[in-house]
Amino acid sequence: MSSDQDHLKETDTEARFEFKKEQKAAFAAEKGLTEETIRVISEDKDEPEWMLERRLRALKQYQKMPMPTDWPGQPDLSKVDVDEIVPYIRPDVEVRGGVDDWRDLPDDIKDTFDKLGIPEAEKNALSGVGAQYESEVVYQNMQERWEEKGVVFMNMDQAVQEHEDIVKEYFMTKCVPPSDNKFAALHGAIWSGGSFVYVPEDTTVDMPVQAYFRMNSEGMGQFEHTLIVAEKGSEVHYIEGCSAPKYSAFNLHSGGVEVFVGEDAHVQYSTVQNWSKNTYNLNTKRAIVEKNGRMEWISGSMGSKATMLYPASILKGRGASDNHITIAFAGEGQNIDTGAKVYHNAPDTKSTIESKSISKDGGRTNYRGLVHIANGATNSSTAVECDALMFDNESTSDTMPYMEINESTVDVAHEATVGKIGDEDIFYLQSRGLDDDDAKQMIVSGFIEPITEELPIEYAVELNRLVELEMEGSLG
Amino acid sequence: MSAQLPANLSEQTVREISDARDEPEWLLEARLEALEALDTLELPDVIQTPGRRWTNLEALDFESLVDPLNQSDETTREAPDDVVVLPFTEALDEYGDLIEERFGSVLDLETNYLTALSAALFTTGTFIYVPEDVNAEDVKIRAEMNSRSLFSHTLVVTEKSSSVTILEGTESGDADVEGERYFSNLVEIDAGENSYVQYGSLQNLDEDTYTYSLKRGDAGTYSTINWIEGNLGSRLTRSDVETELNGDASETKIVGAFFGHNEQHLDVNARVWHKAENTTADLVTRGVLDDRARSVYEGVQDVGRDAWSTNSYQRENTLMLSDESEADASPKLIINNHDTEASHAATVGQVDKEDLFYMASRSIPEQTARNMLVEGFFVPVLEEIEVDEFREDLEELIAARLK
Repeated sequence: MSSDQDHLKETDTEARFEFKKEQKAAFAAEKGLTEETIRVISEDKDEPEWMLERRLRALKQYQKMPMPTDWPGQPDLSKVDVDEIVPYIRPDVEVRGGVDDWRDLPDDIKDTFDKLGIPEAEKNALSGVGAQYESEVVYQNMQERWEEKGVVFMNMDQAVQEHEDIVKEYFMTKCVPPSDNKFAALHGAIWSGGSFVYVPEDTTVDMPVQAYFRMNSEGMGQFEHTLIVAEKGSEVHYIEGCSAPKYSAFNLHSGGVEVFVGEDAHVQYSTVQNWSKNTYNLNTKRAIVEKNGRMEWISGSMGSKATMLYPASILKGRGASDNHITIAFAGEGQNIDTGAKVYHNAPDTKSTIESKSISKDGGRTNYRGLVHIANGATNSSTAVECDALMFDNESTSDTMPYMEINESTVDVAHEATVGKIGDEDIFYLQSRGLDDDDAKQMIVSGFIEPITEELPIEYAVELNRLVELEMEGSLG
Repeated sequence: MSAQLPANLSEQTVREISDARDEPEWLLEARLEALEALDTLELPDVIQTPGRRWTNLEALDFESLVDPLNQSDETTREAPDDVVVLPFTEALDEYGDLIEERFGSVLDLETNYLTALSAALFTTGTFIYVPEDVNAEDVKIRAEMNSRSLFSHTLVVTEKSSSVTILEGTESGDADVEGERYFSNLVEIDAGENSYVQYGSLQNLDEDTYTYSLKRGDAGTYSTINWIEGNLGSRLTRSDVETELNGDASETKIVGAFFGHNEQHLDVNARVWHKAENTTADLVTRGVLDDRARSVYEGVQDVGRDAWSTNSYQRENTLMLSDESEADASPKLIINNHDTEASHAATVGQVDKEDLFYMASRSIPEQTARNMLVEGFFVPVLEEIEVDEFREDLEELIAARLK
């Protein structure tokens, strides 16, 4: 921990996340969502006809579906008005699809990502980086040694052009169809940017690839799509980071993530989400896992006004497995409703869900999870563990797991505990000379360690630093 | 989703029921209000996850199930001398004022369509009144249902520093009733300061009967309400057992046991609201499923903003004996006060293979070993039962169900 702590002092995270830039756009769609808007976006991206058709079908779906309002204890979405957001902004960048050298970025964008620390991370720890600014990927790079092995890491818009066959087969067809939920439908209609990752058979990408999403403009929506296809026996770790400065109008983030984990393949998907506290974060993330494949979801949800996000794994092949590790931190005015879903659809499948939440200053956290064991998924097992830490009496922490068990030869366990931060622990730490704040900070760092230890060091440091700022109450 | 008002239900029906029992005006008014509310009330909430409702109450045809003017039951009541245990309607003569004051005070009669239906139409039930400082053991109520539909309302009032243990058994009688039936049971307990109530229910209706029960307690300062809820019978059981911990240092236990076989559907729910300081709750449910039976369980521990120093625990364990059975569970924690120690756990699994192997190695035949393990699985519930007769009944019913 000590080296992490030293590193923390060198970066001023508040300045890194909260700065704003004056908006400079080459193209911005009109507010709201109409067929015309979608045609304009599709045309601006020079998309093939089939993609435009998919968008229009998704729009119809979106218009048909009601807002989710009747889940017990769900966040209030009454302020989410898609007619009030700008769904698409293409920043003023010379090269469509992003440049591959930081030096070629316009100064203001370069400056943004410099402040976020992206170039350092790329140099030190990553196989490749994609950076999205507003609706478009502005930077994309992949180390050559991976490209030589046939690994593809590019922005999604470009993948529609260059890997049309794969995209056509997998894009919102089998994994996240637009009919899944209202915001998946919205996403299908106006998605833009995001990442495409393709890892060929038996290829191990042993350093993580990273995408960073930055929403800078007021009142915009960001709808990036991430598609990961990991062929048989391959391995890849994808990291996504998100941030946006705070404005008075609301922002909407409604991304879509689809992961295909082939036979014996292993995909880890890590997110540290720190949207500004006016952002509604309504995402759909899902993986389909083939025989003996392994999917890992690691997520830290720090920011946003309200989050509704339940990454899902469908364990389709015999022996497939899933691990979820999630942490949610809700401060004043925030409602983080997150969890995990696992469908055991084959025999010998295994899953574990470890969920931690911290609520403070009136924040609300909710674990909402679903474990489904289908008839025939013999010898499957699942273990769910939720721990909630609460700081004060204004905060709320709910646990709402759902378990649907259709098979008898299974082992299903769910456990949850809630408690306040231990007075005795604080007293002990104080007796060792720490002040109250530092003591609490240290207890929280220990509480979230299962997550931080799964992340590359830069991310672990960032997560710790974010938690520290939340604890100080210094983030707006 | 709203159910339709059966055509055989009218103000006239309700007046007839009330007149036949020579009820006071206030009760007739309460019934009529409940009747009127049916137009707008919804069926009880059921758990929903994407693509499915866990219990399909909408499929019940109340038009054909409900026959309000031909209700018939055979109920026996045993009690020590110093407590009042009377058929509900008879109790109105002597305890009218007390009943008027408490009726519907713990359980909102307009909670949903089915509670209002029950309040409008009930003809049976029991009034139990335990005066101050009286300790009453073994109050026994045995009810037989002898008609197509039967609606029951029970009110328990315990005064300061009293205690009572109650067993309520419900069965189908021998009466010839063709086709499907409906039994509705509402129970409210108003537990006074420092009083203790154990209310045990054993529902063993035949498997042509659909049953809805809502049991609700209001625990006063230093009081304890312990529920034991045994469900073995009925085609479809919807059972809600709830305690509001309104008094400081009040406590509750909700202990449930169910055993489903054939095509039985059991929707059992245990809920507790911590609303005062230093309250404690313990929810324990154990269920076994065989054949194509299905269980739905929801447990709720709700800790209010002002519930300082709360302790709240919940466990639910389901044993599946068949691949065709289904066990769904949702144990929920709603925590609004950080000065709380709360946990819940739920498990679903099979009879332990190692235990079976161990017993086989002691030359116990496999089926016998399995049966012994299933019986053993219910021990934590059986141990909670204070009325001996109730415990023995439950043990017998479990044994009878084993193959």
